[in-house]
Amino acid sequence: MALYRLSAVRWSRYNPYYMEPEPRREVYVSEKEKDEERELKRVRPIKAATSGTSSSLFSDSVISKFINVMMQDGRKVLAREIMTQTLETIKRKQVEKYHTATETKKLEIECNPYNVFHQALENCKPVIGLTSIQRGGKYYQVPIPLTDNRRRFMAMKWLITECRDNKHRRTHMYEKLAQELLAASANEGNVVKKKHDLHKMAEANRAYAHYRWW
Amino acid sequence: MQVRSVHSGSGLQLQAVAMETEPHPAKNLSVFRTTEADPARHSEQHAAQYYTLSPTHLRTVFPHGLPPRFQMQVKTFNEGCVMVRPPALEIISHLKKADYSKPALHYLLYGATGCGKTMSLCHVLHYCSTQGWLVLHIPDAHLWVKNCKELLPSSSRPSRFDQPVQASQWLQNFKVTNDHFLSKIKTTRRYVWTKRERTEEGRPLAELVEQGVNRVKSSSDVVGALLRELRLQAGQGDFRLAVAVDGVNAAWGKTSLKKEDKSAVLLEELTLIHNMRKMLNNDWCGGAIITALSQTGSLYTSRLSYLPQELLGQEGFDKMDPFVPVPVSNYTEKEFESCYLYYMDRNWLQHPNSKCECVNTSGGNAGWVEIASHVGRCWYHVTTGRRNAEVRVMVNVAPVNFVV
Repeated sequence: MALYRLSAVRWSRYNPYYMEPEPRREVYVSEKEKDEERELKRVRPIKAATSGTSSSLFSDSVISKFINVMMQDGRKVLAREIMTQTLETIKRKQVEKYHTATETKKLEIECNPYNVFHQALENCKPVIGLTSIQRGGKYYQVPIPLTDNRRRFMAMKWLITECRDNKHRRTHMYEKLAQELLAASANEGNVVKKKHDLHKMAEANRAYAHYRWW
Repeated sequence: MQVRSVHSGSGLQLQAVAMETEPHPAKNLSVFRTTEADPARHSEQHAAQYYTLSPTHLRTVFPHGLPPRFQMQVKTFNEGCVMVRPPALEIISHLKKADYSKPALHYLLYGATGCGKTMSLCHVLHYCSTQGWLVLHIPDAHLWVKNCKELLPSSSRPSRFDQPVQASQWLQNFKVTNDHFLSKIKTTRRYVWTKRERTEEGRPLAELVEQGVNRVKSSSDVVGALLRELRLQAGQGDFRLAVAVDGVNAAWGKTSLKKEDKSAVLLEELTLIHNMRKMLNNDWCGGAIITALSQTGSLYTSRLSYLPQELLGQEGFDKMDPFVPVPVSNYTEKEFESCYLYYMDRNWLQHPNSKCECVNTSGGNAGWVEIASHVGRCWYHVTTGRRNAEVRVMVNVAPVNFVV
C-alpha cells in the first residue's frame, strides 16, 4: 500500500508525508473508512484543500476543470459565475422545451445541465490527433494517439475559443456557451464540425503514420 | 378542510356546495397548489400554496410589475404561479374592511432582500385588479432616479427636469392595465401642452394618455396631470384607486443624476418624483397606497439595511407616517416544502438530493432558494464566505477534513 505519494508533482512544496484532503461527504457519513485509515488521519498531517474543492453535491471535477480552462488573469470568481449562468441557461432552455413538448417528446429531452455538459464534451473529444514531425527538411502532419487528458483539454479549448471568436460580440459568454453546448450535445455545431475535420485530416495523412516512432 | 361561512341561510347553500367540491381537485394537484385563482377568496387555508395567474391577467395586470427573475420563471415553466403568503393576506384583509370615505391608508411592506416584498405587492395588486379597482403601479421608483440618459429641462416650470423616456414607457404600460377606465373618466381642467396642442375639459383620459405616449416631450407633464385627475376623482366614488409603488424609498433618497454643469440634481427638481410624492400624500380618499421598500436598487444606502427608518430616512418616514407596516420574512418550513415541491413538479430540480443543499445555502430566503435551486451557486457562496445568517444543518456530518 502506498503510504507515500509516488508521483512527484513538479511544483508541490509539500513533504510527501502529507496526505490528500477528502472532500466527499459520503466517505464520512457511511462506514466506508477502514480503521487503519482513520488511525493514519489522526496522526499524519493533511494538505490544505484548494479553494476550488467543495463537498457540495453540485461540485463536479470536470466542470471545475472547465472553469479553470476558461479563467483569464486568475479571475476565478468571474469564470465560475459564467459557468453557473451557462448551466442555468441550459436548464432554462431545456425545461422550457420540456413544458411545451408533447408527452412522447418529453422523455427524450435532457433537462439536467450536467448531463448535457458531459454529453457535449464527449461529442467534442477527438479520437485521434495530429502532430508536426520533421523529416528531411519538411514538416509533416502525422496522426498520433491522444491521452484522455489531452482529448478532454482539446475539447474544452475548442468550445471556449469557438465561443470567444466566432460569435456575435454583443452576446454574453454564458449565452454563447449554452448555445454551443446544446448544439454539441446533439452532435451539431462548429466544434463538432472541427472535430470531424481533424479526423478527416488524420485519415488523409494516414500514409505518414509510420513517421511516428513512439 | 371546509370553511363554514358565518351567516347561514338558504341563499348561501350553493356557496357551501361549491366549497365542498373544492378538496377533490386539490387532492390531484397535491399539497402545494390550489385551484382558487381569485385572490379575494384566498385565506389562511391557502397559505403556502401556489395559485396560477391566467395568461390574460399576466399580460394586462402585470405588463411591467413582476420582478425580472419571476418573468424568466414564467417563461420557463409556461405558467405563472404565485405563493399565497401571510403578508399579502394581511393587506388584502385590511383592504376588504377599510372605509373608503376616509383618506387613503399607507401600507408598507418591508423585509430583507429577497424575502418576497415585490411578489406580495403583485399578489395584492392582482386582488385589486380583479375587484375592479384602478391600479396605478410604479414598478420600481429607483429607475426614475438613476441612469437617465435624456434629462430635459421642463417646458412648464423653470426649475424642473423631465424624463421623457421613462414617463412615456410608464404611460404605455398604464394604458395596458387600465384601458377600460380611460374612456369613462373625464378631465376636469383644460391642459395646454404647447402652442398648438391642448386637452380640453371633459375629454376622456384616454386622450390625455395618447398625448403623453405620442408627444414624448410633454409626457412627464402628462403623468402629473393624470395623477392629479385620478386623485381628485377617486374620492367621488365611481372607482377605487390603488397606488402601488415598489422601491418607495427612492422618493426620499438621493439621485445620481447630474445636470450639464456637473452639479447634482435634487429629487424635488424631477417632475416624475415630485408628482409621485404628491400622490403618496394621504390627502385624497377612495383608495389605498400600497408600497414596498427596496434596498437592492437604492442609491447610497447600506446593503444590510432593510428597516423603514433606515431606508426612508427622517423625511420619508414623516411623510409616510402613519402607515401600516407589514413585515415580510423568510420562508417557513411549510412554505419551503411547498416551494421545493413546486420546483420538483415543474422539473426544475434535477439532482435527487438537492433539498438539504438548498436549505443550507439559502437559509430559507425566498430569493436565494430560487437561485440555489439551480446549480452551483451553493458552493460559490460557501467558498467566498457569503452565507445567510440562519443555516440549518440537516445532515449529520463528521467534522474532520471538511472543506465546507
